[in-house]
Amino acid sequence: MKSEAFYNHLTNNMKINPIIISFISILLLASCAIDEQCRQNKTVQLGATFYHITKNQTTGAINRTSLAIDSITIAGLMYDTVTNKYIKSDSVIYNKSKAKSNIYLPLHKFENASKYEVVFNNVIDTLTVLHTNINQYLSLECGCMIVHSIDTVLMTNNFKIDSIRIINHDVKTENAENIRIYK
Amino acid sequence: MQKIFVFISSLIVCMFSVGSYAQKIKKPEPDLIPVFNGITIQGDIALVVSSLVSGGETFTYEASTQVDLKHKFFPILEIGYGGANKTSNNAINFKNSGLFERIGIDINLLSPKKDEKPTSNLFLAGIRLGMSGFPYSISNVIVTDDYWGKTQTLNYSNQTATKIWYELVLGVRVEVTRNIFMGWSVRTRTLINQDVTGVVAPWYIPGYGNNAENNWGFNYVLGYKFQILPKKNTLTIMQFDSINYQNKTTNNKPN
Repeated sequence: MKSEAFYNHLTNNMKINPIIISFISILLLASCAIDEQCRQNKTVQLGATFYHITKNQTTGAINRTSLAIDSITIAGLMYDTVTNKYIKSDSVIYNKSKAKSNIYLPLHKFENASKYEVVFNNVIDTLTVLHTNINQYLSLECGCMIVHSIDTVLMTNNFKIDSIRIINHDVKTENAENIRIYK
Repeated sequence: MQKIFVFISSLIVCMFSVGSYAQKIKKPEPDLIPVFNGITIQGDIALVVSSLVSGGETFTYEASTQVDLKHKFFPILEIGYGGANKTSNNAINFKNSGLFERIGIDINLLSPKKDEKPTSNLFLAGIRLGMSGFPYSISNVIVTDDYWGKTQTLNYSNQTATKIWYELVLGVRVEVTRNIFMGWSVRTRTLINQDVTGVVAPWYIPGYGNNAENNWGFNYVLGYKFQILPKKNTLTIMQFDSINYQNKTTNNKPN
């Protein structure tokens, strides 16, 4: 009887009852929206852009313009412990790609040096990136992703590259510009 | 000397006049509800059921003690034990267990009508401050290097975390039979110390739930109230009731 009287009291005197019921309903509905799928992109790549630099003979000012390579082929070089030599990966990152002014390269997740064979038109060079790998925990659904911090970039100079500059050491996304290659 | 005598005399007159004025001020009605109205020990049934239903993925057992002050304020201490053993879709396993504590206060939103004895049923709104310190482990985190072709399995064992949060609570308590109370409450939870992005963090926090910025909870409690009423206050209520009764009977007499 006491509880009946209490509910009657609530019904008669509490005008906010519908608000409370709505509030509880929203909470219950919200609880159904648990998403256990990982929708986060965990891929990170080193971004490199090609530039052509020209020097004004009269004023001495340096002018920088985007450079599109006519044809470029890039493949990773893996160290073979049997032969103690670097061998080209079967998986090619760029295969005779035309008019490329920027490239994106996957770095080693578990080693601190990533080596690539880069074929500019018909000229072969080797690009070496020394980097630190950092584990980033995301969630139980997504696990971990590995991001990188670039330490050094080395390149052989058959294609007559002028210089390479690191402009962003952190490789945390898929399409950021990390290094600039000047010719 | 004469001036001093006049001053003191006028002061005494003033004091008496103030005293007589104070006597004329209407005395406030005596507060008939005692300060301490008992203590309720309650256990949560909903959490036991949800723990059984989840098949051991998450579990929480919780009890609380609540003091009834003037039938308006209800300080509460909630203590429990919770944890999780969860394996995600990508086979990552999370394990933890630990104690949690919440301290807070509820306020009864129902106020009794004048000359009415307050009902023992309650409509409560309150706040809580919760805390849990616990160990946890995350295992079988597989990282694959798609291009270079290597895979590593990472394990984070012996991790510890301390989490603090606050809650806003709304609920009812009904006296189903003498001193036995049942009731439910819903609560929104907000984490005060959140995790830094990229750092290993627990998936489940005992007493809070899934590790998100905001969370919610539902409790259904069964409790027993220990009534500890001082005799003096009981007498006051009885005297008040008898006065009301007399007044009512006097008013009801036909002229």
